[in-house]
Amino acid sequence: MVKRFQFLKLSLKIAVTLNTKVASLFVLSLLSVHNIFFAQGFFELGILPAVNFNKKFKNDWSLNSRIESRMLLQSGVIRGSVDKSFNYVLTDFSLIAAKKVGLNSRVAAGYLIRFEEGYIHHRFIQQYTIVQGFAGFRLAHRFVSDQTFSSIAAPEFRLRYRITAELPLNGESVDPGEFYVKINNEYLNSFQARVFDLEIRIVPLLGYDFTDKLRLETGLDYRVDSFLEKKTSHTYWMTVNFFMEF
Amino acid sequence: MIRIKLMLLMTGILATSGLWSQDKFEKERRIKRKDVPSEALKFLDSLHIKSRVKWFQEEGLIDKSIEAKFKRNKIRYSVEFDSTGRIEDIEMELPWRHVELSVRNRISSQLEQNCTKHKIVKVQRQFSGKASDLLTWMQTSTSTKLLTINYEIIVKCSQQKHVDLYEYLFNAHGETLSVSKIVFKNSSHLEY
Repeated sequence: MVKRFQFLKLSLKIAVTLNTKVASLFVLSLLSVHNIFFAQGFFELGILPAVNFNKKFKNDWSLNSRIESRMLLQSGVIRGSVDKSFNYVLTDFSLIAAKKVGLNSRVAAGYLIRFEEGYIHHRFIQQYTIVQGFAGFRLAHRFVSDQTFSSIAAPEFRLRYRITAELPLNGESVDPGEFYVKINNEYLNSFQARVFDLEIRIVPLLGYDFTDKLRLETGLDYRVDSFLEKKTSHTYWMTVNFFMEF
Repeated sequence: MIRIKLMLLMTGILATSGLWSQDKFEKERRIKRKDVPSEALKFLDSLHIKSRVKWFQEEGLIDKSIEAKFKRNKIRYSVEFDSTGRIEDIEMELPWRHVELSVRNRISSQLEQNCTKHKIVKVQRQFSGKASDLLTWMQTSTSTKLLTINYEIIVKCSQQKHVDLYEYLFNAHGETLSVSKIVFKNSSHLEY
């Protein structure tokens, strides 16, 4: 409880020193996610560090490589029994090739390999992104379809849509040496063994731009799924994203 | 051993980040009214702007400038000053159709030569001249004879297989003064 309040205190401290309106939005979204924490259902709480490398090539081509790990700190029933043992869950390696097809849009395709509990999962990814610039913020829309295959589960087919807002905390755009708030909201439609599921993700993050080619983001990645079957599962990941451009 | 490796990694990252920052050094940040040079404040105050004025400081490789942005009669204005507060120019946003027909035709024909396909994204009329003349024009909206007028136009331009955004500067007759390609900020953290 004390730690939770210390975290909120730190967020508030950052908020007052930066652009108050945008920073308050960030704190509010953290609070709303925090409130959901006390809702009914199952939950998982863990760490989600990720490192992202992006390399640009000639003729508007680029290559993105990502390494992401999941580590579980707590899991169980909310207001019920809780397992507090540390568990390493999985690691993903992905490689995506992208081509700029418009002024602000890109098509991409790639492959992800997942190592989880001794099993390997293969995922094929296709995506289209468009980034819109406005006075004072940027919006990105991402449409993804992916297909996952493994020896232990039926093939899974997903259709995803994500909207991302980037809000600078100083000035009208994010410049080197400045903080920013990034908010993701994603909807994932999953089809597996003739069963449909919907997962919703809300990810408020606080980012820092070291240079235009080096960024660090941290925040909470909240995921809710299976609520259509009334077996709602809440997942809370403390994320740390590192982006490097070459 | 792990600690040493981590330190080496961090040192490497910090060293290379210093090199990357040399690529481009253009930064704008919001500033408070109290940090604005008095000459610039005096100019703005004499305009009696009723809407909120946002102040920015733009930092280039060589110089710094101060910019005031506000809306008046639903029109967006941007007043640029040098670092001492001396006025440099005033820009007002306007619809493309409000540009004089002969100027529009000349600009369009130039864009047709440079681009296989183009789309005008934003048009700003830029006024420069003596501070007193600029002030008179802003207060009375009458004669602009003593002022130099240019057009700053943002254009989406397709050339062969590329689509890019350009900032064109035309004079009052629609002749090109300068062209620069707008480089977008990195967006991989929004896409992946």
